[in-house]
Amino acid sequence: MSLARSHTATIARNELWSDGAATEPYEAGWAREAIFFVRALEAKVPLQGATAHVQLSPDGIHWVDEGGSFALPNHDGGLSFGRVERFGGWLRLRIALPDGAALRVIASIALKE
Amino acid sequence: MGVTTTVYRSDPRLARFDPLERIVYFDDFDDGYNGWVGLIGNYENSLDTMLPGYQQLMQPMLSNVTHWDTGSHGAFDGTYCLKTATRPVKGQQNVTLKRITFRHLGRIQFECYFCFKPEANRMELSELDVRSIGVLFDLQHGEGGDRRVMPHLRYLNALDGRPMQKWQYKHRRQPFHDIGGSGKTVSHYHLAPEGWDDVPNGAQRLCYNEVPTKINWHYLKIGFDLKTMSFTELRCNDRVFEVGAMQPMTMPAMANLWCMLNVCLFVETDVDRRAFFYVDSALLSGEF
Repeated sequence: MSLARSHTATIARNELWSDGAATEPYEAGWAREAIFFVRALEAKVPLQGATAHVQLSPDGIHWVDEGGSFALPNHDGGLSFGRVERFGGWLRLRIALPDGAALRVIASIALKE
Repeated sequence: MGVTTTVYRSDPRLARFDPLERIVYFDDFDDGYNGWVGLIGNYENSLDTMLPGYQQLMQPMLSNVTHWDTGSHGAFDGTYCLKTATRPVKGQQNVTLKRITFRHLGRIQFECYFCFKPEANRMELSELDVRSIGVLFDLQHGEGGDRRVMPHLRYLNALDGRPMQKWQYKHRRQPFHDIGGSGKTVSHYHLAPEGWDDVPNGAQRLCYNEVPTKINWHYLKIGFDLKTMSFTELRCNDRVFEVGAMQPMTMPAMANLWCMLNVCLFVETDVDRRAFFYVDSALLSGEF
């Protein structure tokens, strides 16, 4: 019996996000599904409407919105997640925050065959 | 040809290596990450306590080496290789490692096939974009021993836009810093850019190959003796280098690293563009 492979990679550690931030490209063509987790280490309000948009890429260089998005945590210690599947070879998050907001995070991607 | 050699040469995946008597691990990245993980710096209570050099580090990926112009290049064999990528900022580094311990104070040998390339986001040759790639061992004697030893090797491809194309080693240490307030944790950024020395007659031209999206795999073999804590071999493709004058970085033994045997792969970019260090496969063997 062969178990499905899985892997969790931290994609942003102690990074301070402002509006327009994006995570570094992550290659995961081997995986069928992924969950992004974002935990707020430090939330600088106002964070109403703060959103992470999942993005796909054919080559790790050019990016397009996948269509899925999820609300980012709005307080210290808050945790949120977003699921994605059938995503091809690359994934990243595009971050949309209100003016003046900032979010220090640890973010990861949980991948599974 | 001995029995051991006959056995491993009957397996096409192993036949391209020259292992010592016992294979400790053979990692083909079609099987997964095999325990190769991104390095993290030491911290206490807050991630802010990590030294600045460690803040930049990220996790490795399994890559099928896909490019915008041709699609997937694939690995040496199968589909996937291990990819270590920097951020797109000049001087940024990244490190991937595998952590085990040793059971015998004798010769060890790390072999891999590797390639390095910059991110192909400009239609230019870009052969001087990757500053360096390298391998280091992080070792410590068993309990009762007195030294932590960190042999560092790198291929310096370019520096500030100038071609360098030579192997270097590093034995000069960086200062240790206290981390947090417990008095139990220290850290040093041993991959700081200063302190490298040239391997004697260590100039070598590799196969960059014309555009950033062509991948040619290179063979690398590094031998080290855990008993004498000295280099025994350095080979890249058709070149065998004289290692007698090469010293490893050494420091007093630390409180909780006994018998440590880590192999680290690292990469550094020379421009504001990501640098990629690919490995497929990796083999550690020992004489015991």
